[in-house]
Amino acid sequence: MEARPVQRSGSRELSTSSIPSTTPNPSSSSSDAFMNNNNTQFMSKPLGQQSYHLFSSSNGGAVGHICSSSSSGFSSNLHYSSMVSHEKHYASGSTSNGPPAAAAALSNDTSWCHDSLHGGGFLDFPENHQPSQIEEDGGIGGAFDDIQKRNDWHEWADHLITDEDPLLSTNWNDLLLETGSNSDSKDQKPLQVPPQPPQIVQQQPSPPVSVELRPVSTTSSNSNNGTGKARMRWTPELHEAFVEAVNSLGGSERATPKGVLKIMKVEGLTIYHVKSHLQKYRTARYRPEPSETGSPEKKLTPLEHITSLDLKGGIGITEALRLQMEVQKQLHEQLEIQRNLQLRIEEQGKYLQMMFEKQNSGLGKGTASTSDSPSKSEQEDKKIADSKELTTPEETGKEKEPESPQPKRPKTDN
Amino acid sequence: MKFGKRIKEQIQESLPEWRDKFLRYKELKNLISSPAPAESIFVCLLNAEIEKFNAFFVEQEEDFIIHHKELQYRIQRLVEKCGDNDDVMFREEIGEIRKDIVNFHGEMVLLVNYSNINYTGLAKILKKYDKRTGGALRSPFIQKVLRQPFFKTDLVSRLVREWETTMDAMFPALTREVEGYERSAAVSSAAAGEGIFRNTVAALMTMREMRRGSSTYGAYSLPPLNLSDSDLVLRPVHVPSPIPIPY
Repeated sequence: MEARPVQRSGSRELSTSSIPSTTPNPSSSSSDAFMNNNNTQFMSKPLGQQSYHLFSSSNGGAVGHICSSSSSGFSSNLHYSSMVSHEKHYASGSTSNGPPAAAAALSNDTSWCHDSLHGGGFLDFPENHQPSQIEEDGGIGGAFDDIQKRNDWHEWADHLITDEDPLLSTNWNDLLLETGSNSDSKDQKPLQVPPQPPQIVQQQPSPPVSVELRPVSTTSSNSNNGTGKARMRWTPELHEAFVEAVNSLGGSERATPKGVLKIMKVEGLTIYHVKSHLQKYRTARYRPEPSETGSPEKKLTPLEHITSLDLKGGIGITEALRLQMEVQKQLHEQLEIQRNLQLRIEEQGKYLQMMFEKQNSGLGKGTASTSDSPSKSEQEDKKIADSKELTTPEETGKEKEPESPQPKRPKTDN
Repeated sequence: MKFGKRIKEQIQESLPEWRDKFLRYKELKNLISSPAPAESIFVCLLNAEIEKFNAFFVEQEEDFIIHHKELQYRIQRLVEKCGDNDDVMFREEIGEIRKDIVNFHGEMVLLVNYSNINYTGLAKILKKYDKRTGGALRSPFIQKVLRQPFFKTDLVSRLVREWETTMDAMFPALTREVEGYERSAAVSSAAAGEGIFRNTVAALMTMREMRRGSSTYGAYSLPPLNLSDSDLVLRPVHVPSPIPIPY
């Protein structure tokens, strides 16, 4: 997580106004703003500034109209031989030195990719990951116009209120797109923990209570490349132990990572983990009220809005918070439901796949699969329908797709 | 294409430091539509994406855990200090804390959303890949994804629910029939204030759209979203009388 202010107002304008140059001018300065959005490390090398023509304009999916800054090489990091021509098209907005740089990077990237594949099967994660998490500090987005933004918001709120059915209308959509920006130019978190190249992903077992277990869990797919740096997954319990240790050493300022590590006595916990955690902890203590991101929208709220809207002794604000809370709750609820459904879908798929294969092998003939598929699908239909009925009241006739590619059946309508 | 558009919107609405942490859906789609999408390359890219998600998610989670504790302490200290006083300073401070709680809650929910939308994107892109190449990459790969740290959002969800409970306790017992005027004031305040709020709304809309059913609806598609039963948040917002909002 870096401090990288982005000029969103700029980007917003770019996306909504139909920019004549969707084949952009390589040296356009407005690109700088948008470019910051696109700083990525997609198997990248940290060239000066890289850009991604990712989230390009909304006009018909036109290819990125933003270009990288002068020092940047390639526009897209998908440099593969089969794709050079494609990339050129794809990166139509790129600078003139895009393709050559791409070609240069090409061999490097592909070789890296191959290296990582040697380590294991396709599905294993690369052992030797380039420091792909190293991000660059982007340029600075300009300060945005507070007042204008506020007016936009009021407009938006107006729409909200006078609308018949705000949630279902598309106005929300438009308004979200059009109205003011949320760009922030203010400071982000001052102390950023430098992202470590993730080597080991430590997966967390389902919530155990004892503190010692957690750091030890490992995945099967990754192997330590020797540096001993593993990604640590913290828990509240572990953190409590940490806090106790810190306090016993005299507080966050006086405690040292080594000391804390010693006291905590947690197997698998390294000094690097403690060090970075301590750093985060110190930051959090000295900037208590804003959240980690410290986005300036919140800084706007305190005085101006409170005074302007606090006409009934603060009830307005409370109601605003309530409303926000409600929306958040709803989103969370839906997310949980969705997640569960997704899990079940995959479980189901796995089961069906197994059945399918069993049947295939049972019959001993490859061609048997096609003749069997109709009856198979009936079974699938039934099974899926049964399970989904439990969770979703609305069920129009769904078409089922077995795992292996088969011709699609008629579609349901929306 | 709809998902591509939606994820793009969400990214635009998201908190700035998050924006480059999302799935590069469009890129991957383009890779797939290229003449000879190589599986090794595709998988390589996906793995890189997943690493990115994991790193970001776990780090955010760590921050949340720290903040979670700090917020608890803060409340504790405030309660000890002021007790049941109703003086102005107490009100202000408790107002501050409430705001922070709500925002904190919001950020955590957004992280869960982040996890989900990236997962969904992966599932979709894998499906596209299999469709394009006739491969069977999807199923085993997605099984792998399900085991990834970024997908395991249980802890964050737990914290979210804890704070919901705390919030109920911390809010005064207001009646639901708030006047239209206050309601509009509330709306504009909420609207004007928070990037989190906008982000949340965008996320909800994305979900709704994604769940609306599509031409490729199949066994691996999610059923339609069921928002009608739940307390529609914005129903209270729908105030017929167009009371102008004071500036």
